[in-house]
This record gives sequence, C-alpha cells and structure tokens, in this order.
Amino acid sequence: MDSVDALIAQIQGLSSSPEDINALHTHLNQSEELLLSNVNRLANSLEQLDPSKHSLGYLYLLEASTSGPISREQSGEIVRCIARFIMTCEAEQIRLAPEKFLSVCKRLKDQVMLLQVPIQGIAPLRGAVHKLQSSPEHLTPLHPDFLLLCIMAKCYKAGRSVLSDDIIEVDQPKDFFLYCYYGGMIHVGLKNFRKALEYLHNVVTAPMTSLNAIAIEAYKKYILVSLIYSGQVPAFPKYTSSVAQRNLKCYSQPYIDLVSSYATGKISELETCFEANMEKYKSDNNVGLVKQVLSSLSKRNIQRLTQTYLTLSLQDIANLVQLGNSKQAEMHVLEMIQDGEIFATINQKDGMVSFHEDPEQYKSCEMIERIDSSIQRVMALTKTLHAIDERISCDPAYLAKMGRERPRFDLDDFDSVPQKFL
Amino acid sequence: MDFSLLSEALSSKSYEKVSEICDELMLQAAAQGINFQDEWPHAIHLLGHLYINDVNSARFLWKSIPLLIKENQPEIVAVWKIGQRLWTRDYAGVHEAVRGFNWSSDVLNFVVAFSEKYTKKMFDLLLSAYSTISVADTALFLGMSEEDATNYALQYGWTVDPASKMLTVKKLPVVREQKLEPSKLQRLTEYVFHLEH
Amino acid sequence: MEAEEDGPTSMVDAMSANGLNSGEESRLKPIISSEQMDVEAYASLYSGRTKIMRLIFIADRCGNQTMQLEALRMAYDEIKKGENTQLCREVVQKIGGRLGPAYEMDNDWANIVDRRAELRKEKLDNELNGYRTNLIKESIRMGHNDFGDFYYAHGALGDAFKNYIRTRDYCTTAKHIIQMCLNVILVSIEMGQFVHVANYVNKADQNPDALDPTTVAKLKCAAGLTHLEGKKYKLAARKFLETGIELGNNYSEVIAPQDVATYGGLCALACFDRTELKNKVIDNVNFRNFLELVPEVRELIHDFYSSRYASCLEYLENLKANLLLDIHLYDHVETLYSQIRHKAIIQYTHPFISVDLHTMASAFKTDVIGLEKELEALITDNQIQARIDSHNKILYARHADQRNATFQRVLQTGVEFDRDVRSMLLRASLVKHEYSLRAARKI
Repeated sequence: MDSVDALIAQIQGLSSSPEDINALHTHLNQSEELLLSNVNRLANSLEQLDPSKHSLGYLYLLEASTSGPISREQSGEIVRCIARFIMTCEAEQIRLAPEKFLSVCKRLKDQVMLLQVPIQGIAPLRGAVHKLQSSPEHLTPLHPDFLLLCIMAKCYKAGRSVLSDDIIEVDQPKDFFLYCYYGGMIHVGLKNFRKALEYLHNVVTAPMTSLNAIAIEAYKKYILVSLIYSGQVPAFPKYTSSVAQRNLKCYSQPYIDLVSSYATGKISELETCFEANMEKYKSDNNVGLVKQVLSSLSKRNIQRLTQTYLTLSLQDIANLVQLGNSKQAEMHVLEMIQDGEIFATINQKDGMVSFHEDPEQYKSCEMIERIDSSIQRVMALTKTLHAIDERISCDPAYLAKMGRERPRFDLDDFDSVPQKFL
Repeated sequence: MDFSLLSEALSSKSYEKVSEICDELMLQAAAQGINFQDEWPHAIHLLGHLYINDVNSARFLWKSIPLLIKENQPEIVAVWKIGQRLWTRDYAGVHEAVRGFNWSSDVLNFVVAFSEKYTKKMFDLLLSAYSTISVADTALFLGMSEEDATNYALQYGWTVDPASKMLTVKKLPVVREQKLEPSKLQRLTEYVFHLEH
Repeated sequence: MEAEEDGPTSMVDAMSANGLNSGEESRLKPIISSEQMDVEAYASLYSGRTKIMRLIFIADRCGNQTMQLEALRMAYDEIKKGENTQLCREVVQKIGGRLGPAYEMDNDWANIVDRRAELRKEKLDNELNGYRTNLIKESIRMGHNDFGDFYYAHGALGDAFKNYIRTRDYCTTAKHIIQMCLNVILVSIEMGQFVHVANYVNKADQNPDALDPTTVAKLKCAAGLTHLEGKKYKLAARKFLETGIELGNNYSEVIAPQDVATYGGLCALACFDRTELKNKVIDNVNFRNFLELVPEVRELIHDFYSSRYASCLEYLENLKANLLLDIHLYDHVETLYSQIRHKAIIQYTHPFISVDLHTMASAFKTDVIGLEKELEALITDNQIQARIDSHNKILYARHADQRNATFQRVLQTGVEFDRDVRSMLLRASLVKHEYSLRAARKI
C-alpha cells in the first residue's frame, strides 16, 4: 500500500468524531508534499472519498489536484467536481482549513469566468459563503467573488440572498471595498437605489490612507445614484477620510458637471452636459446610469410641481417640464402615479391634473406593522451597538492605545454616532 | 433537470411562484454543469417574471438567452415582446403583443392569466389615476373594443357621457383595517420599558 | 394710473417746503422722483469729484442725447473749476464737439494748470523734505496731507491714497486721526475700494473721544455704502437708518441726504420684516427727516406697510429709471426690487386661506401667468406655504398636518439610524482590524 492509498485510508477512518478530524487535520498538513508530488493520481483517489463525509480530506486532495495548470478540456469536469464538493461538504470540517477552501472556491470562480459561464458558479459560491461564514455578520473573501459572478451572469436577484445579511465584521479592506462596490452595482441592477446608495456610500466614506480605484469608481456611481434617488449629492460626512474628501472630486469631473447641470433643473442643460462627456461615461461603463439620471430629472420636475400646484393643465406641465406635448405629459404623470411617486388624478375632459397630498393617514394596521418592525430593528441595532461598545472597551489592545488616564471608553468618542440617536 | 416543482406551480395556477422556482432551478442546473439552455422553458421563465411585474429581471434573462435559441423559438421572442411593451410603458401595446401570437398549449394558460391580471391592473390604474378619461383611451388601456370597455367600466359604477365619449371615474372608498390587536399594546409597553431603561 | 401721476408731483412740492434746512429749499428740491431726472438739480446736491463722476455716469447710461449732453456740459464746467486735466480730456472726448467750440479741449488752460501743478508739486516736495530733516511731526503730517489733497485734485487717486495713509504715523491728536480716516474713506470710495472704507470707518469708530454728530453721520453713510456694495442690504439699511440728520449737506463730496433716504428705504423694504419696518423705519423720527426729502420713497414705504402694493409697486416702477442712473445704487436696483416684490407677494398671501389669482395679479400689476410663475418660485423656495389651483386660478394656503409630518419624520429617522449605525459599525470594524489601505496592496 503506497502512501497516497494510506492517506485515503486514514481519511476514511478519521472523519467522524471531532477528535479524529483534528488528528486528521494535523496529518493532512504534514502530507502536503506527498499530495503535491502525486497530483496526477489524486483525481482517481477522490472517487474513493465521499465529499459529504470526508469533507476535510476531500478538500486537501481536491485543492492539491487542482493546483496545477488546468487545461480547457479538464476545466469543465473540475468545475463540476468543485461545485459538487462545495454543495455537499460539511461546514464544520472545511472551516478547519479555510485557506484551502478559499483556494478551491477561487479556482472555481476563475474557471467559470474563463469558460464564460459565470452562472455556473453562482449556486456553489452562494453555498460556499454560507458554509465558510462563522456568522451572517461576517464578511468572507468569497462575498465579492459571489457578487461578481451574479453581476457577470446578470442574475442580480440571486445576489440578494447574500446581500440581505447585515455585515458588520470585516477582515480585509479589499474584500470590503469590492463587496460594497459590487453590492451597489447589484442594487443598481435591481433598481433599488436606496440600498445601492448605502453600499456605495460605505465605499466612499470608508477609512483609507490612500485613494484606490474602487473608491473612485464607486464615487462616480454614488453621484449618479444620488441624483436618481434624491436629485442631489450630499456633502461628504465628516468621518470620510481626508484622502477621499480631497481627491475624489478631481477624478470625477464629468460627474460633478452633471450634478451642477442637474441642479439647474433644465433638461436641455443636462443633455448638453451628457453629450459633452459621453466618451467618459462610456469608458466608465456608466452610460445606462447616466441615462436614468436624465429621465429622473423630468420626474423630479413634475414632483416639484406637485408641491406648488393643486391643479395644473397637462399643457402647462409639458411646457414647465420641457416635454413635447400634453399627451407625453399625461403619460409621464400616469407613470409616476403608477409607481407611487406622486399622488394625482388626471382629468382628460379638461386636460387638467389635480395633485393630492400623500393619502397616508398613519392609522392602518399595515402602517402600524411597519412602524413596529422599524422600532424592533432599531432596538436590535441599539443592542448590537452596546454589545460592541462593551467589547471594544474591554479590548486590551484598545485600552493600551487609549492610555490609562481615560477611565472608560465613552460611546460618544467612539465614532460619529449622531447625538440624536443616543 | 427536475421540473416537477415548476409543473406543479403551473398546473395549480400558482403563477406568482414561477419566477422564483425557475431562477433557482436555473442556478442549480448551471451549477451541475448541465447544458440547460437548449431545453430550458425560457418562455415560461420570462412570463414568470412578467407575471409578478418584474420586467427588470425579465430583461436581464432575455439578454442572457443565446441568440440561436431566440432564433429557433419564436415564442420566446413573442413573450419578450410583451416585456418590451411593459418596459416602455406602451400600455395598449401589451394587449397587442398578447394577442399577436399563436401561443403553444404549454404557455397559453399562463399568458391568459397574465393578460387577465394585467387588465385588472390597468383598470385599477385608471381608477386611481383618472377622474375623467375618454372611451377610446379606456379601450386602449384595457385592450378591449370601445363598447366592451364602456360596459366593463359601467359595471364598476362609472358613468359615460355619450356626446363627448368621456367616462367619469367612480372612486372606491378606501377601506383599511384600523383595528388594534392587544398584542400591539403589549409591544408598546415593551417599548416604553426599553426607553426607560 | 393717469390720476396718480399728478399726485406725487404736487405732494413733492408741498413736502419739500417742510423739509429740513428750509432756507435752502431750492437746493434741496427732491431729485429722486418719477419724472425724468433734472440733471442740474441733481448735480447741485453734490460737490467735488463725485459731482463730476456722477454726471459722467449719467451721461454714459441715460441713453438720451439731450440729457447726456447736459450732463457732460455740467461735468465740463465743473472740471474747469478744478485741476484735473486728464478728466477734462476724457469728457471732451465724450462730448465730441457736440456742444460747440466752447466745449473743446482748452489746451491753454490745461497747460497752465499742468505747469502750475508741476511747480506746486516741487514746492510741496521741498517743504516735505525740509520737515522731514527737521523731524517736525505735525509739519510732516501736513506735508503728506497737502500731497494727498494735491493728488486728489489732479485725479491721481492712488497717490492721494498713499499720502493720506502716510499721515497716519504722524497723527498726534484724535482730530488728526479722524481727518486721516475721512480722507482715506473719501479716496477709497472714489476708487471703489470698499475694503479700505470698512477698515477706516472702524478705525474712526474706535476713536476714544466722542465724535461730533456730523462725523458720526458721515461714517454711518460710508459704512452703509460699503454694505450696499457688498450686497449686505440689511446691514446697509441699518447704517443708513442710523445716519443722523446732522449729515445735512456736509458730505456732499460723497452722498446727499436724499440718497440716505432712498438707499436706506429700499434696503429696509427688501430686508426687514413688518415689525422691523414699523419700528426702525416708519417710527424712526430721525429717518423721517430724510424721507421727507424724497416723498415718493416715503409714500411707497407707507404703501407697502399698509398693503397697498399696487401703489407701492407703481412708485417703484416710476423711480426705477432714475435709480438706475445712480452711481452707487444702479447695480442693486434689480435685486432690491425683486426682493421687495417677493416680500410684497409673501405678505399679500399671508393672511388668506385662498386668494383669487386674478385679483392678486392686478394688485401686482402683472398677468395671471406671470404671477403663477412668481408664486411657483416662492412656493418652491418654501417662502409661501400654499398651492396653486391653476385650473380655477386660486391660491390655497397649505397647512401642514403635524401628525402626518411627525410620523413621516419618525420613519425617516428610523431608516437613517438603521443605515448610519450599520455603516458606522462597518467602519469601526475596518478601523479595529487596523487594515487601512496602507496595508492592502494596490488594486
């Protein structure tokens, strides 16, 4: 019996109790050289193992057997094999060797990208994220990869399953930047601009000591999404790194121009700006978003009219908002009523529109339910906040840094928790 | 591929579930490395998105369908035509697109269900967005003849002025549940407690 | 409108009889009126350089040949009394022979003046050097001061400014300092350097000795002009309103009391709320004296306060052409007018639940379409809480529903809290791991 077979036997024997698996882990670490020198045989050996039972051992063998260069012919089979493993492996076991697991997952991602079938990696990576995560609050290096595949495959909805978790623990800033950037793009794809803004905002305002390309691209999108969502771009909050505050705008001039022409409220001016900077937007892959910015201006102008008028003729709307004719104005208004963006009724007989106040009376059970869930959420967040505060105030590293003269860490000094919230 | 969930949803007319089932099935099939595109029920999948008014997803799905398949299966193109009209808010065009294809038996029921739902939705939209509207426009929105549209509207208490061919919309009183359950009061107590401690 | 045309003029005559310094009533004939400007009467209010500059300004802008030539003729006559040959050349050029041989360039005169100036300058120079060697402080001050006067008279404002400033180190009494300040202020106003004006007004104000009322009034005017120039209309209004009646004609090289009434009145209308307008303008006994000089401004202020907007706006409209010929005010007329109009519109709508736009439009001398636009801008700007029923042409006041607004705000705050806390925790996590990008490799 040669040594690979012996190792297989050991894996088969030592994969049930936690103690056995620990012992196996040590043994596997010692056998890395053996595995690497027998790469070609490993594919066959894998067939003797059950990925769901012998997960740890399978992982080591799989990692070693795919570590060499992969030919195009092998590629398909390897992808299937890794996918099967990820879907069936046992989380407890693979978490003992997270680097190996990551390495296998990355390989899967690289291969599906290479084969131009990103959709093939979505379900496996989704499983991988959940298996690797110690808690749903934990950001893994697989998060950005998963989101990237969703974007490449245009399966934006699939991205939601991972994005719906509230991440608050980050190990690697690069993971964080990419995660937020891709998360922003997915929400843009889903036209969920409020959420998109949140993700992009996190990139732009993240602590950083030097500017990175992700932040710059995120800032461009942040500007566009802000315009679509609220018609203006908020100033940097004070916790934004000085690097970002100082430099981001210099890299985004065509976008800053867009903001100022948007502020004039004139479609024609916005269109001029759009055409002048077309090439830049194109090379940034932002033309689609910029077009949405353009169409949001008409809507915003109509919305402004609802603040001013109780009734207004369709013709006046067309004139005030620079639309071709009253029929187009009617269609715009109708669209906005349909989307719940304004409250109005159209009177075709007189060619008039009546604008109403928001009919919400905040009395319905549905609304109470909404308020209730909002309160629940805020309370839960407050609890998390206090727990983390406590943890940090007990953290030896933190205490050492802050010095002993400060008796206790005060929440107010921690970060910019707005006073009103505390 | 195991389409049993999908067939079950279709046969029980739980059309609102179709899009989610198809999305997930597709991811699973892809993960197994199956070349699913050729036998994939794209038309149903697209309709599933449209049925729950997720034109956005339908659009992305459409973009991901290989060209060859689109060329060989005119029904997929026909479904997307509906999606396109929805996307551009060509309200009347949707009805045309629905009528403009000889749907296969698999798809027919689903299209009919979609069309009924859409007509209902359009009527609700007219109800909320108009105080008066011409008979001609009503017919376009509802995808009916002027006569049918008028009768449909009259059923709901609208009135018609035959001279100007204008319908006057009758608004429905909004009924909203306003009763408070005791559990809510319990909650309220908890909140106050939370605030005080 | 026709009827009202006569009103003001007759009132003007009656008022001027009661105006201040009634002995000089012919000189103080109101100039700012709705009639075409009487250039001669206007010019008679001023003296020195400003008189000439104001005439040239009028000539440049009036767009009316008769008036233009009249202004230039007077400017020419005035210049010939002084020593500024350069300015004379400029005016002659502007006249371009249109006033006959009497108003050509008088080269003999210019040569004599220039030669005399040369000698005078030499003399002043020698004197000053003498004082310097002997270190007689007061004489050095006088020497610089004479130089300042000399340059000022010859139109070399920059040199005049420098010399006046130089006297500063040799001032020994409070009176000297005040004199120095007033000189610097005068030159700076002529140069349009209002930063200096502000500085030296401050310096003069800091003088420990009590200033005489005339000086105080002059300083208020100078400060008022500075604020006006800086578009700080509210502050400008305050300064003009505080200007004492002692000003009289004592500051004619800068400003006439009529100007104080006009500038102060318009700035106050544009910026003050009703109470302020009542307390600081209408009930201001001191300022009333100024307003008497320009009855139209007084009337329009009263009209505004009594909500007679049509009449108020009509006065304003009639005054406009003349105000645009004012060297200090012209640039601010449009802004002040639109602010006054906005305030009028806001005040007009304030007490009503609903307002008929037709009625309102006629009150504001506009059509309904124009009024809708104005109202739209003011509502958008949240200056009027109302909405327009464009179908029936009625403006309805809008009363915010406090309860709904509160609910809305609560939900909004909840969403923001949620978002902010999560994003904060994320940042904290990044900081905690001390993984700033420095540690990360380039991407």
